[in-house]
Amino acid sequence: MRTPVTAPEHVAGEAAGAQRPPRRLPFWVDQRLGLLVLTVALAALFGVLRPAFLDQRLVLFPLLREISTLTVVALAQLAVLSVGHMNLAVGRMAAFGALFAGLGYDRLHLPLQLGLLVCLFAGAVIGGLTGWIIARTGVSSFVVTLAMDFALMGLVSLLYSALTENAAFTTRPSGLLDLRSASLADICVGRVCGSPAVPQMAQFTVLALVGLGFLYTRTRMGRELLLTGANPKAAELSGIPTGRRVILAHSLSGLLAALAGFMAAVSTGTFRASIGDDFMLPSFLGAVLGGTLLTGGVVCVVGALLGTSLVAVIRKGLDLLGVGLESLNIYLGCVLLLALSADRVRAVVSYRKVVRST
Amino acid sequence: MNDVLLEGREIVKVFPGVRALDGVGLRLTAGSVHALLGENGAGKSTLIKVLTGVHAPDGGRLTWRGEEVRLRSPLEATRTGIGVVHQERNLIPDFSVAENITLQSPPARRGFVDRGAMSAPALRCLAELDLDLDPLRPVRELSVAQQQLVEIAKALYTESRVLLLDEPTASLSPREADRLFGVVRRLTARGTCVVFVSHKLEEVFALCDTVTVLRDGRSVLESSPLAGHTHDDIVNLMVGRAHTATEMPPRAPDRTAAPVLALDGVSTADGHQDVSLEVRPGEIVGLYGLVGAGRSELVKAVLGLDRITAGEVRMHGTPVRIASPRQALHDFGIGYLTENRKEEGVFLEQPIHRNITVTVWKKLAKALGYVPAAEERQAAQDLVDRLGIRISGLEQNAGELSGGNQQKVSMAKWLAADTRLLIVDEPTVGVDVRTKHAFHRLLWELAGEGLPILLISSDLTEMITLADRVLVMADHRIRGEVDNDGDYERMSGRIIRIIHDRALPAVTTEREAE
Repeated sequence: MRTPVTAPEHVAGEAAGAQRPPRRLPFWVDQRLGLLVLTVALAALFGVLRPAFLDQRLVLFPLLREISTLTVVALAQLAVLSVGHMNLAVGRMAAFGALFAGLGYDRLHLPLQLGLLVCLFAGAVIGGLTGWIIARTGVSSFVVTLAMDFALMGLVSLLYSALTENAAFTTRPSGLLDLRSASLADICVGRVCGSPAVPQMAQFTVLALVGLGFLYTRTRMGRELLLTGANPKAAELSGIPTGRRVILAHSLSGLLAALAGFMAAVSTGTFRASIGDDFMLPSFLGAVLGGTLLTGGVVCVVGALLGTSLVAVIRKGLDLLGVGLESLNIYLGCVLLLALSADRVRAVVSYRKVVRST
Repeated sequence: MNDVLLEGREIVKVFPGVRALDGVGLRLTAGSVHALLGENGAGKSTLIKVLTGVHAPDGGRLTWRGEEVRLRSPLEATRTGIGVVHQERNLIPDFSVAENITLQSPPARRGFVDRGAMSAPALRCLAELDLDLDPLRPVRELSVAQQQLVEIAKALYTESRVLLLDEPTASLSPREADRLFGVVRRLTARGTCVVFVSHKLEEVFALCDTVTVLRDGRSVLESSPLAGHTHDDIVNLMVGRAHTATEMPPRAPDRTAAPVLALDGVSTADGHQDVSLEVRPGEIVGLYGLVGAGRSELVKAVLGLDRITAGEVRMHGTPVRIASPRQALHDFGIGYLTENRKEEGVFLEQPIHRNITVTVWKKLAKALGYVPAAEERQAAQDLVDRLGIRISGLEQNAGELSGGNQQKVSMAKWLAADTRLLIVDEPTVGVDVRTKHAFHRLLWELAGEGLPILLISSDLTEMITLADRVLVMADHRIRGEVDNDGDYERMSGRIIRIIHDRALPAVTTEREAE
């Protein structure tokens, strides 16, 4: 699902063939492969050190559920990063979307699916509004989404306290609790059942990954989003409606954030204002670790899953090993720094190669 | 005074995909004014950046008073005694004149900047320039010319023995320029070497003693006394005219055909007044003018990027209002090859196939916006072959190509879209001679196939090689029209005369030289 934008390593090498030596780096430098290997190796290491780590129901199930949610959060960030913007309000947009789902269940007694749709719609609208403000005023996305974050923080809390007695919707439509605890073990084909480690909620994540992957690699919209991010001026002059693409990216981000909000609410069982409070940092961490550029134009959809997984595995593993929260964050910081410098090293190495061949 | 201060030999500087400097030599002697000439993209700015420690050279050697030096940063260059006034202003607007002048080593007392002690040295430097300025005034309140002189004062403060001035007169009025020349003469009388970069040959001949000419990253004339050369010699060296004259098959556009694009009395928010022009099928219409005449701005207004306040734009005889480049492309088939390749033309960090097919995704897209990768690549490959773009693969990033190949990629985009009207803006600025030829031939052939082309260029040779008629623009107005008879001397004379009627003499002659 890696978009061809930055996956030219092998192809270019072959095509260069006779004319020039392939100037791309070997495949083992590939960031995504590195992430995958690292994640699996770490999981295995933790499993050996603390066999409890591999307990399917007690450890892996909640771990994968968390990864599912945070991957969607990372995808929400990735959508705006693709046009070179950022969304500091991902968490609050998640809370905003979840509010509408909760409201629908509580007041309108909507079925589970319909509530989800309302939630997604609310997220897309608030994201689209943000995008519209940015496209219209030309103010940087940093400022606009920061303001949006504050505005929504106030609004969502206000609405919760106005609409509920203890600042949370606790009405649960039928199916919500099942969704929360169901895993592949509940789905059996004949006598073969799935793993109890994989939560059913992962379906949303898979859907989001496939959808975004298709968008960015196969469609005109996706390409136009990327080119808008790569160079807005050139994109405009090449006939791309950059304003509309910015709005699209932001409403997509809002929609995915709302989806993540819904998933988080289902995980905890209640719809409350604090949903999404801790979404912002993981959203950048997952996307950027996965190879999406902060400057726009290059995204890696599957990387968001890998990056998020790595962080979650490290967190859980160190937690089981008894490392305190503070030192845990130090390790995480170091990992992020390493991953990002690896990218910079790659850039410098390839620059030198090109210069030498000129 | 035959004291060599700074000497460079065989200097090489490589950027990805292009050898910006490829064996440049330069000898700067004390007490002389040295002209550094060359067309856009010849490597002047890169050379200045190498001499002032901004870029580290990839080859060759620099000697300062006979000893080899390595300038690792602009600060080291300043300490060595090399000062520079760049083309764009590098002052801090909110700092005072004195603070800006003493910025590189502010007078300090016990580790704190001593504001009181700033004024005296600043005043001394200003006095040397014969400039009466309050050192406490913030720089933002000064005129452009005054700011320029403050920058020179800044270079004086660091006791520069070599002072590089990159296009210092570009934004000055003739009187202000004269004053600057006075300063330059005074500096050289004191044994400073001033390097003078300018496109205005008139000034160069009035002021300079020696000259170095760069072309395509090489020095084609090295530190030679200027007195031994004529205007024409220098121009020939700069453009390599022997190379630029291209034989083209004859082409006779139908002058009676209905125009594809017609502007009638167009005025824009940018200040264009009463602009009328027509472009017919198969015709190359040149739009010539000085930098700042408003040519690109006119085109951008037509494309909907600026407001048209009066007049009418007609496509195929029908009055139209174009709201955006998107509409221009998809509804009217207008392609605009921008002059600003790196910022507006290509997507440097994106693969070549995307750069080329961006204009045709709409056509290629199937249900759900799905774009088949094979068709996309095929479309890109066809154009790569047709234009002879040298790449290692379609996945290569456009930023890794040389300037000329980038320009071809930028052009390919419009050919892919099958545009019905092509507007090309300075198509061969900063590209090598060979690509320039290829471009000229390509435009010629496209016109031969019936494509109407509006050509904007400041390169008179290019105009005369390609255009069927040349419209001359100055101060946001069309000043006249000249039918191209292919004779360089006669054409340049006529075109210059049209500009001459309005603009200042000093400015026009310089263009003639170019």
